[in-house]
Amino acid sequence: MAQAAHKDRTLIAAIGDEDTVTGLLLAGIGDIDSHQRPNFLVVDSKTTQATIEEEFTSFTQRKDIAIILINQHIADEMRGILDEYSAAFPTVLEIPSKDHPYDPSKDSVLKRVQLLLGD
Amino acid sequence: MNEIYFNAYAGYLEGVVRGYRDGLITAPQYLNLTQCETMDDLKLQLATTDYASFLQNEPSPMSTSTLSARCTDALVAEFQYLQQNAAEPISKFLDYITYGYMIDNVILLITGTLHERDTHDLLEKCHPLGFFDTMPALCVATTVQDLYSTVLVDSPLAGYFRECLSAEDLNELNIEIIRNTLHKAYLEDFYAYCQSLGEPTASIMSDILKLEADRRTVNITINSFGTELSKDDRAKLYPRLGNMYPEAQTRLARVDDIDQVKAILEQYSEYKAMLVGVSLGASSGGTGANDVTLEDRFFAREVQFNKDSFEQQFHYGVFYSWLRLKEQEIRNVVWVAECISQQQKDKINNYTSIY
Amino acid sequence: MNLTTTKTRLKGAETGHSLLKRKSEALTTRFRAIVRKIEDAKLKMGKVMQNASFSLAEVAYITGDISYQVRESAKHATFRVSAKQENVSGVLLPAFERDTRTGGGSQFELTGLGRGGQQIQKARAVYMTAVEMLVELASLQTAFVILDEVIKLTNRRVNAIEYVIIPRIENTISYINSELDEQDREEFYRLKKIQGKKKERAAVAQRETDAKATARREMPVRDILAEQVDEDIIF
Repeated sequence: MAQAAHKDRTLIAAIGDEDTVTGLLLAGIGDIDSHQRPNFLVVDSKTTQATIEEEFTSFTQRKDIAIILINQHIADEMRGILDEYSAAFPTVLEIPSKDHPYDPSKDSVLKRVQLLLGD
Repeated sequence: MNEIYFNAYAGYLEGVVRGYRDGLITAPQYLNLTQCETMDDLKLQLATTDYASFLQNEPSPMSTSTLSARCTDALVAEFQYLQQNAAEPISKFLDYITYGYMIDNVILLITGTLHERDTHDLLEKCHPLGFFDTMPALCVATTVQDLYSTVLVDSPLAGYFRECLSAEDLNELNIEIIRNTLHKAYLEDFYAYCQSLGEPTASIMSDILKLEADRRTVNITINSFGTELSKDDRAKLYPRLGNMYPEAQTRLARVDDIDQVKAILEQYSEYKAMLVGVSLGASSGGTGANDVTLEDRFFAREVQFNKDSFEQQFHYGVFYSWLRLKEQEIRNVVWVAECISQQQKDKINNYTSIY
Repeated sequence: MNLTTTKTRLKGAETGHSLLKRKSEALTTRFRAIVRKIEDAKLKMGKVMQNASFSLAEVAYITGDISYQVRESAKHATFRVSAKQENVSGVLLPAFERDTRTGGGSQFELTGLGRGGQQIQKARAVYMTAVEMLVELASLQTAFVILDEVIKLTNRRVNAIEYVIIPRIENTISYINSELDEQDREEFYRLKKIQGKKKERAAVAQRETDAKATARREMPVRDILAEQVDEDIIF
């Protein structure tokens, strides 16, 4: 991690259902860059798996994003990618959504945490 | 208004709407709803109401947004039945009711156009009551200028747009200001129309619409504190009617904080009673279970007015009132559903009960 | 000569080992603290987010659906984070912080002007605190990932030193030692041998001298006269 690399990272990206994203945007995380790319993705029943994965990958490759927030139930759909993703930047954080209460046992990071605490 | 002939052209519809009113959820039913532990329980309870046929095909688990959508479908179906069976002048009255929703829909489309989105996707987000035949035509417009002329030509809202806004305004003004300007024009127009219908519709609707106007006035005042909205602009957004027009409005246009609003409101006996026990101030972070907001009080009062309108016969106000009550009911049901699905039982009783 | 260098290397490796071990211990302590914090925070997050989405439900109750509007009015992030670094035993841990420079103005201040503006502002406040918490959690998590990596690395090094480098150096030393011993022994043997040879030679020399001496001793005094057995000269 070069020193400069995370100084530019100031944005929080979000992938989530309508309500979650709306709330996060209310808090002011929304941003649309000079290429008209938003830093958030609303997932509804019509959003395909491929779109989500593509968007996630593009978020992870952007240099200005520090944190990616993702709804847990969406994260579940792409658990494989998340479990593999181990870079420190941007940090991927799983958050609960309105209709899906938080389930700690599914969280990729928490799983590792508990593995470590268990021994 | 000639009461003798009322039943000849409106009797059936009035009967239907009063029937609908009886289908509204009552206090004991609300009590049952609030006792539910899961969404499935809630669905079961709702099976005894008018919503049953709209909910029965929903797979479990049902989300609150689905519930809300289905309930709205029920409302729309009933309203459209009224519209289909209506003749002049009731049909005109019903059309007037839908203009409010149309404004919101058009605003939605404008927002989409401003941000160069594909507005076709937005059509399904529009409120079905505010759907007008030429609305899909608005989606064709790709620039705001186009959109403006299309609205003028194709929509029933042309009058409001022509009076209040120019095409440039759409680009420059904040979308919320446009929305409120249009609503204000609509409210004034609706009020004038109701007055032209003669008694008793005029007096009943004037009570309801005045309350609506006052509510807008107060809300705009409170919500514009600390924003870029200048005091003159604020005054321009106030509907020119209501109990507080014009004297209190001029004063409200000048105030800077919530206490001054309170002081002005207290001069009106009906609002003074409303303020008791209300916590004003948007920034108070902690919300207790029994916190009552001014909005809640306005809702309660609106419900009261709308209920009263059913006490009289031979007027059109019932249609408007029924729609409002039904909307309130949907809000209540969705609220209860939210409380249940998010396990926030301590706030579950914060709905505005109707009967 | 080589032995001295190798011995210095061994000493270096041992110091390095203990240093790394101490570092790894320090990191692990830190790591455990973070792990515990993450667990707490993650569980707390469920609650906070639930509250937040409930405040949105309150907005929906009063105002109706605002999501599209909100989504479209988003232009520039007012809530940004900045990363600062914290040094734990030589590992730079990033910590995200809410960037206050950009705070303040909001593009949503007019949303819900006619209705429900207060609720929207309230929901906004609730979500702001929620996001702040998420940011905190995110920095914990980043620290977790980095520390995890570093600890693994350090432990690998510790183990490498302990089980590979040190034994190898020790082997070298013992080899050198044995080699030196061997040399010693050879030298000793050589010396012994030389000594033996020398002794032999000395003995031989001695013997010769002795012999000479004896011979000399035994050799009668030359009586030239007697020796000179003159033949009778017959003239």
